[in-house]
Formats: sequence, structure tokens, C-alpha cells
Amino acid sequence: MTLYWALFSGLVIRPARRDRLRFLLTIAGIAIGVATVAAIRLANASVLSSFSSTVDLVAGRATLTILADGPGIPEDVLGRIAWLERIGAATAPAVSEMAAVAGPAGEVVEVLGIDPMSDAAVRPYVLERVEEGHGPGVSGEETLATLFSLFQKDTLLLPAPLSARLKAGPGDTVRLVAQGQERSFRVAGVLEPSGPARAASGAIVFADIATVQEAFGKTGRIDRIDIVTPEGTSLADLTRLQEEIASSLPAGISAGRPERRTETVDRMVRAFRVNLTALGLIALLVGVSFVYNTLSISVLRRRTDIGTFRALGASRGQVFLTFLAEGAFLGVTGGALGIVLGVALARLALAMVGGTVTDFYSPAARTELTIDPSILGFAFLTGVAASVFSSLAPALEAAAVPPAAAMRHGSVEALRRKGTVPLGLAGAASFVLAFLATLPGPVNGLPVFGFLSVFLSVAGSSLLAPAAVTTAARLLEAVARRVLGPVARIARANLSGSLSRTSVAVAALAMGIGMLVSVAVMVGSFRDTVILWIDQTLAADLFVTPASGRSNVSFGKLPQEFVDRVASLPSVAGWDAFLGFSATRDGVPFTVGSGRLDFIASQGNLPLVSGGDPRTLATTVRQKREVLVSEPYAVKFGVKTGDVIAVPGPRGDVTVRVGGVYVDYSNDRGTVLFDREMFCELFELDGAVSVAILLKPGLTPEEGIRKLREAFGEHFAVRIRTNSALRADALRLFDRTFAVTYALELVAITVAVLGVFNTLLALVIERRREIALLRVLGASERRVKEAVVFEAGVIGALGAGMGAATGAVMSFVLIHVINKQSFGWTIATHVPWLFLTAATLVVFVTTLLASWHPARLAAGVEPASALREE
Amino acid sequence: MGARVLVEGVSKRYGGDPSTPRTEALHEVSFELLPGSFTALLGPSGCGKSTLLNLVGALDKPTSGRILVDGLDIVSRSEPERDTYRRRTAATIFQFFNLLSTMTVVENVSLPLLLDGVPPRRADDAARQTLTEVGLDEKLTAFPYQLSGGQMQRVAIARALVVNPALLLADEPTGNLDSRTGNQVLDLIEELVSARGLTVVMATHSEAAAARATRVLHLLDGRLVAAS
Ligand SMILES: Nc1ncnc2c1ncn2[C@@H]1O[C@H](COP(=O)(O)OP(=O)(O)OP(=O)(O)O)[C@@H](O)[C@H]1O
Ligand SMILES: [Mg+2]
Repeated sequence: MTLYWALFSGLVIRPARRDRLRFLLTIAGIAIGVATVAAIRLANASVLSSFSSTVDLVAGRATLTILADGPGIPEDVLGRIAWLERIGAATAPAVSEMAAVAGPAGEVVEVLGIDPMSDAAVRPYVLERVEEGHGPGVSGEETLATLFSLFQKDTLLLPAPLSARLKAGPGDTVRLVAQGQERSFRVAGVLEPSGPARAASGAIVFADIATVQEAFGKTGRIDRIDIVTPEGTSLADLTRLQEEIASSLPAGISAGRPERRTETVDRMVRAFRVNLTALGLIALLVGVSFVYNTLSISVLRRRTDIGTFRALGASRGQVFLTFLAEGAFLGVTGGALGIVLGVALARLALAMVGGTVTDFYSPAARTELTIDPSILGFAFLTGVAASVFSSLAPALEAAAVPPAAAMRHGSVEALRRKGTVPLGLAGAASFVLAFLATLPGPVNGLPVFGFLSVFLSVAGSSLLAPAAVTTAARLLEAVARRVLGPVARIARANLSGSLSRTSVAVAALAMGIGMLVSVAVMVGSFRDTVILWIDQTLAADLFVTPASGRSNVSFGKLPQEFVDRVASLPSVAGWDAFLGFSATRDGVPFTVGSGRLDFIASQGNLPLVSGGDPRTLATTVRQKREVLVSEPYAVKFGVKTGDVIAVPGPRGDVTVRVGGVYVDYSNDRGTVLFDREMFCELFELDGAVSVAILLKPGLTPEEGIRKLREAFGEHFAVRIRTNSALRADALRLFDRTFAVTYALELVAITVAVLGVFNTLLALVIERRREIALLRVLGASERRVKEAVVFEAGVIGALGAGMGAATGAVMSFVLIHVINKQSFGWTIATHVPWLFLTAATLVVFVTTLLASWHPARLAAGVEPASALREE
Repeated sequence: MGARVLVEGVSKRYGGDPSTPRTEALHEVSFELLPGSFTALLGPSGCGKSTLLNLVGALDKPTSGRILVDGLDIVSRSEPERDTYRRRTAATIFQFFNLLSTMTVVENVSLPLLLDGVPPRRADDAARQTLTEVGLDEKLTAFPYQLSGGQMQRVAIARALVVNPALLLADEPTGNLDSRTGNQVLDLIEELVSARGLTVVMATHSEAAAARATRVLHLLDGRLVAAS
């Protein structure tokens, strides 16, 4: 048996076996933390990777893709890049859209409009079955010919699995909702699920480009041109080619690597992801505080054994490494368990909230969990590193134990007590630094200093914990001694006598509660702000969007014909229509939108960041042909009233002056808002994404809906919502988005309460002899129990108090720094007192309940046998 | 006033379950202690001295037999009554680990009073006074780890005496000390005990220490072999 094994088994494994529950708890603490981090990142990466695989599959063999920053590529520019053919490159234009399959199930599919002549060179299609009368088409040549013959007006191809789901084979009809109208398409062929037919998780159909343009009102416009350069084109050649293409095309339309769309999407969700990861890390931090506590108790309890080992010739280094190994062992076990748990959690998260994020990228893609080993590795290593790091101090302490004559009981804690004041000062300094960290702006669009500030606050409260415990214990003794007599004194002595352990439990609890408070305040404030904003902006009685069997997704647009007919209805007193497209500027996405400024001028339903009257501003902006920008846009691009901005149009940039900044919580990408007339003219677009209707006085919303339905009959597939229904939907979406956040808080709190349980349990086990001594002195079982519960009460109360204070600081940082810098929103602080009081009370009571088992254990200590123990 | 202790046919068996072998630590032990007497329990290691003291101190229950203290059987009494008995009647001093490491000297000594419902201030005053009696008035706010072995035993004695018990049980109180310090501690016990007239039982395996007592009970393999 090697010395290390003897050390490890004598100092770690045997004691761990004796103390199984506590070790399992410690491992569980790490596991939960690691699982949280892993799950957040896995779920995120899965969504992104399903998007990116769609991008790759659609790009096929393309080495370059031409995309527009603005509202699509005018078809006539195709002629300007005809020279590409001459150098041996293949080009394939495509139009991509979303449609819902008509009917109650309403599956959302991506519709790719392609030119069969040129597309086969870019995207490999493999036909499985075709309509009668066309060749079987298996080899490449044949496929091209077959494709060509299959692509007639209003026919489409679909992947075999989708064909099976929709029960539509060759010759059958599929009805899709496009532009608010149901249209029939004939299935001309079924594709094997390979290549582009696997894009969007197979929820994709292919049709002739002209068919798609016509059905979706995009005549004369294409969304992308994929280019396959001749084999052997070097990277330098590609870059040169890219420049040449750019110079042949209008500004705002450029060629680049196909993956760049993934990068854009990645940027869009980065802030969201970073925020969640930071929350996950706090959960992990709470988890690893277990390791410190467990190890520090281990070292204390095994001082005599350590001394004996040292006397037998074990060196300081060996003892140090043994305890570090224990930390690593806990980290590895907890980490391994954590990644297994994390995968399950990620699967659950995707199933539960996947919809929110998925709708965001592409409503058609169904996300499957992609298990990225590098993410699991990251979470695992973070867990192990954090465990090893928290075992450093206890291991150093173990190494300092002198041979044989172990230090006297109590002296170790006394040494630790000396650190209380310096630690407290460091804690205060940490809060000062946390304040300073709120001052700088974002780094690369991310609130790096904001996160630093949160972590400094957490560190500050943890460092102040020992001072708080000693002070509170003393104060409480003074106050409670009349009523509780000896119990107050015993609990006080225990609290400050085991300061290093009790203060870590307090710090962990404060961390958990701090997180709960800060997130509750942040989300509560956000929610209230949004409700107020919805009340101010939802001026109309009815809102109409294109229907899609799946009731909670709106996409696509309504044709101009619909807008015109709404405007002429006798029951309509006023209307507004929103129309927009998504644009990018240097790879940063934003929205270019439009509404009727004269409607806003009459309703005043557009709250301004500066205050002021939206009615007058809307009027002047419209007259001067200026634009309004949303607050997130202003923050993201550093734009203010009076600045001139460039917006990508179909024929190069459009420059406009910013007339004002308005409040908008509907998206964090930022919006440039044009008056509808000017927008339609500049960007050559018509129709509407949604139409808001103000009914003639005296009409109830229900009557209004009936009148609209009567007017349009079955002609348009639209969804009409009343003001209150839309409001409820908006809040439901809001709550769903923050469900994850609440789940994370719950995790942190649970782990923290487990931590209190773990600590109390450990302290009771550690103090068996002292408890026995109390019994010898005539303390009853009840007194012993009361002392443990009292101790738990102090830990709970202190944790709650410090947590609330830290939480207040953190919520300030979350609202005014992190949120502002990540999303650009100004949020009015609103404290959900009732929820917070209830939550804090629940945590406090749970802490008391957590002391029940340790208290019973303490009461069960038999004096005679406990005193015999070595 | 000291207590009258009557031990009648007391046996104590340990184990018997599969994990631990059955040992009979005490076998049919009977004796009587008169109020104010100072008795030494003498015998080799493992003969059952601690077991016997634990039974008399109500820290454990005998397998059979009766223990009457001032006429009342402590074995058959309820747990709260045994708590009270430990608090008020029988005080115990051990060889080591007598003190609560997280409390100061005064706090250690006042603890039994507090447990008995004495208001904190009065308890602390009484503790200080008793500590002065044992000559430790300079170490009032020290923690146990800051004391020498002899000082710790003096604190333990002060704590035992602060409640004015009728019975003092000392389990090798000098076992951990050098002979000079040990003698000082024994002097202190003798002095305080004779002043207060309480009944003392002291377990020891040292003939010299036992010589201090007025009566010696010899214990061998759980049986009382002779009394002198
Ligand atoms: N809890 C227990 N379980 C099993 N056996 C026990 C237990 N307590 C004591 N014994 C046994 O009872 C016998 C008497 O033990 P005891 O501690 O009373 O001896 P002692 O005379 O005090 O010895 P020492 O002088 O070493 O302190 C011993 O054989 C011991 O092993
Ligand atoms: Mg003994």
C-alpha cells in the first residue's frame, strides 16, 4: 500500500463512509451547479446548432452567398453578376419564406423557392418518388431534367418524412397559408431526407422561384444567391471575388461565407445567453461553497489523525495533496453527475421553453438536443476547478498541522476568528469596487463590468459574513438571553465557535436569497414597465395578423389588398399597419419598420424616451420625412435625436435624420420606424405584418370581429385579437421568457438551504462530545434541540437579511447596468414586496425545518458513549 | 450537605448484538456511601470504574440493580428528572475534555446555573466567585485552549461546585497531569469538599491518589473485591 493511498483512505475515504449523507449532499451541491451551467449552454448551443445546420444544408456546396443587408435583392441585379458564369462559377438564386400548413395542426414549414435550372449545381436533391409521367430521376443528370419537369406553377417537392406526416404523396394537394390566404400546391415529388431536404429539421418544402415570389408577394425580389466557385479556388481568390462581386452590386448587397447568417443570429442571442450563464455560475458558486464547508470540517475533525500521519513521516506536501485530492474527488464525482443531470435538464428546458427561442430564429426548425462534448467538458472542468479551488484553504490548514501533538481543540477556530475584521474590511472594499464597476460602459456590446459588479457584490457579502455572524450572535444573545437563557448562549458560542463553517452557510444562503431578490425585483420591474408600456401603446380595439393554425405564432404578411379593404370598411374609424424587414449593419441585426405616423399623431400611442408629446412629434417627423428610432436601437448604435443614419434599401443606403427616440420593449434588436407611405415608397414594399383597427364608437370588440369576418368571409386566413387578448398574449410570452430565470433562482435557493442543512448536520456530528458534555451538565434533550434550531434561525435570519441587502444592490446593477447595456431598455424600478416577503419567509422557515433532523441527531447523542469516543 | 448513595446489585452489560461482543463491565456491585465521605474507586484499566461513575452520575443506565441517592432510585426516574438530577445533585469531572471549547472560562462555569434557570447576570456573578475560590480570577475571559491542563481541571472543579451539588463524581481528574499539578488539584478537591461537606467518588488507578480518600473500593473485572 502506498503512502498516498494510506493517507487518502485514512483521511478521506473512511471518514466519508462514516458520514455518507453529508458527502452525498456535497456532491449533489456541485452536481446541481454543474448541471445548471451545462444545461443552459447545451440548450443554447442546440438551438444555435440546429439553426446553423439549416444554414449549412441550405447553402449546400456554395462557397459564397450573396445576401442583402436590407429588404432583399432586386432580381435585376442578377444580370450584373453574369460574369461569374464565365469564370466557371455556378450561381443559384433563391427565395425563402415561412408558411403554415392549413388546418388545425398548422405545422410551420420553410418554403424555398429555387430555379431548377441552376439549383442542382448548388444543392444536391435526391428524389425518392415522383408524380406519374416523370422520369424516376436517380442519377444527377436525370435529376436535373426531372426537377425541371417537376417544377411547374404551384407544384412543390417535400421531404419523405414531411410527406408522411402530412399524408401527402405525389399528386396530392397541400394547402399552405401565404399572405393570409390559403393556397393549394400539388405535390410533384418526394425527396429523400438528405442534403437541403434535411434543413429546418425536415420542415421544408421546395417550389419554383416564380411560384414562391407570386404566392408570397415578392415578385421581382430574391433573398439569396448561392455561388459555387470552381474547384481549387484559393482563399485569396475568394476574398478577391467577394470584392469584385460587391463592386458589381448596389451598396448593402454583398457576398460572404454562407455561415455569416449563423454569426448574426448568434449575436442576436448572445446577451440572453451570457445573462443566463452568469446566473448559472452563481448557482455553481453556491454549490461549491459546500466543498469548502465539508473539507474544512473534515480537516478540523481529523486533526489528530493528520498529526499521527505527520508523526509517521508524511510530509506537509503529502497532507496538502491528500486534501486537495479530496476536493478534486468531490469535484469529479459531482461534476460527472452534474453533466448527466445537465443533459436531462437541457432536454427538459428545450421541451419547455425551446419554443420561445426557436420562434426567434426560425419558427420552422424543431430543435433537437445536440450534445456538444466541449460544453460538457467546460461545465465539468468548471465544477472540478471550483471544488479544487475551494479546497485550497482547508488543505493548507491541514498541511500546517504539526506532527503528533495536534493543536488544541478550539485554537483553530480562534485563529480563523482573527481574520474576521480584515475579511470584513475586504468585503466593504469589494462593495465599493462593485459600485465603481457600474460606471464604465459595455465592452463589445456585453455588460462585462456589470457582471463584475454583481460578482463583487456577492464576494462582498460573503466576506462580510463572518463579521455579521459574530455581531449578530452576540446581539441576539443579549436580546434573547432573558427568554431563552442557556440556549441563546450555547447557540451563540456554537455560531462564533464554528465561525468559518457557519459564516460560509450564511454566505451561501445570502447568495441564494440575493439572487432571488435581485431577479425578482428585476423581472417584477420589467413586467410592470412592460404592462404600463402596453397600456400606452395598444390604442386600437382589434389587431389582425396572418393566421397560422398554430395559434401562437405570427409570421408572414397580409397583402396590400387586405389593408386597402380594411381601410374602406364602414365599421373602421381608424387603422394602423405595421410592416418591416430585418436588416443588418456591419453584421449587427436590427429591424426597419413602419407605421402610420398620422395614426400616432391622433392617438399619441408611442411613449417617448425624452417624455414630450408623441402627437406633436409624430406630426413633425412625418412632415420633415424623418424617422423615429427605438430606445434599444439608440443605445446599441449610439444614436440620438438629430443624428443622420443610413438604412440599407434595395438600391443602396437610404439616409434619414432621427427625429426622436421612442420606448419599445417588443424587441431588443432595435427598430428604425418610418412613416408607412415613405417606407413603402423607399423600400418598394406593400402589405402589412399586422393591422391595428380602431372601431367606430359604440361597437364592442366582439361586434367588430364579427363585422370583419363578415366582410372577408373565407377569403383571408387571419387571426383577429381584441386589445385585451393581445395584452394577455404579450404578458404570457413575457412570463414564458422569464420562466428559466425563475427556475434558476429556485435552484440556487434550494442548494443554499441544502447547504444550511449540510452545515448544521456537520456541526452536530463535529460537536458530539460537546453535546454529550451539555447533557452531563444536566441539559435536557429539548435544550440541546432548541440550541440547534436557534442556531439555524440565526443562520436563516442572517442569510435572509444579508441576501436582501445584497439583492437590492444586485437588482440595481441588473436593471440599470446589465439590462440597459445588454438590451438597451430603461426599466422603472418596482419592488414586488409581497412576493419578496413571502419568499424570504419561506426560505427562513425552510431553514428552520432543515434544522429538524440535525436537532434530533443532537438530542439523540448518548452522553456516556459519546464521551468515550476518541 | 452530602448525599447518601446506595448501590444495590448493579450490573452493566454492553453489546450482545452481532456487531459487538458481549462484555459484562460490572457484575452485582453493591456498596453504600455516607454523606460527606471521600471514596476512591481503585483498579486497573478496563475494570469498570468509568462505567460505575457514569451509572451513579445518571449518564447511563444499569442492566440490573438499583442506585438510590438520598433514598430515591435514580435509575427508574424519568429522563427530565435525571436531567435535573445531573443539574443539581451530581456533578462530574472527567480526565480531559471537560470544557466547551467555544465558551470562555466564566461562560463554562456559569452554564450549569443557566441551564437551571438562574438569570444570566446572577449566574455569571456566581461563576466569577467560584473561579476566585479556585484561584482562577485572572483567566475569566480566556478560552479553554489558552489554559494549562491543571488550570482546565480547576475550571472543571469550579463548574462542578458552582451548583452546590450533593455528590461529586471525578473520573481520573489527575490522570492527565504531572504529579505536582495532580496533587494541587487533589488538594483543591479535598479543601473545597471538606468545607462543603459533599460526598465524593473518585475513580483512579493511582495508589497515591487513592491514598487521599477516606475509603478505597477495589474494582477488578467488574467486581468489587475489597473495601479498605
Ligand atoms: N459503550 C461500550 N461498549 C462496549 N464495551 C464497553 C463500553 N463502555 C465500556 N465498555 C467495556 O467495559 C469495560 C469497562 O470499561 P470502563 O471504561 O468502565 O473501564 P475503566 O475502569 O474506566 O478503565 P480506564 O482506567 O482505562 O478508564 C471495558 O472492558 C470496556 O471495554
Ligand atoms: Mg475510565
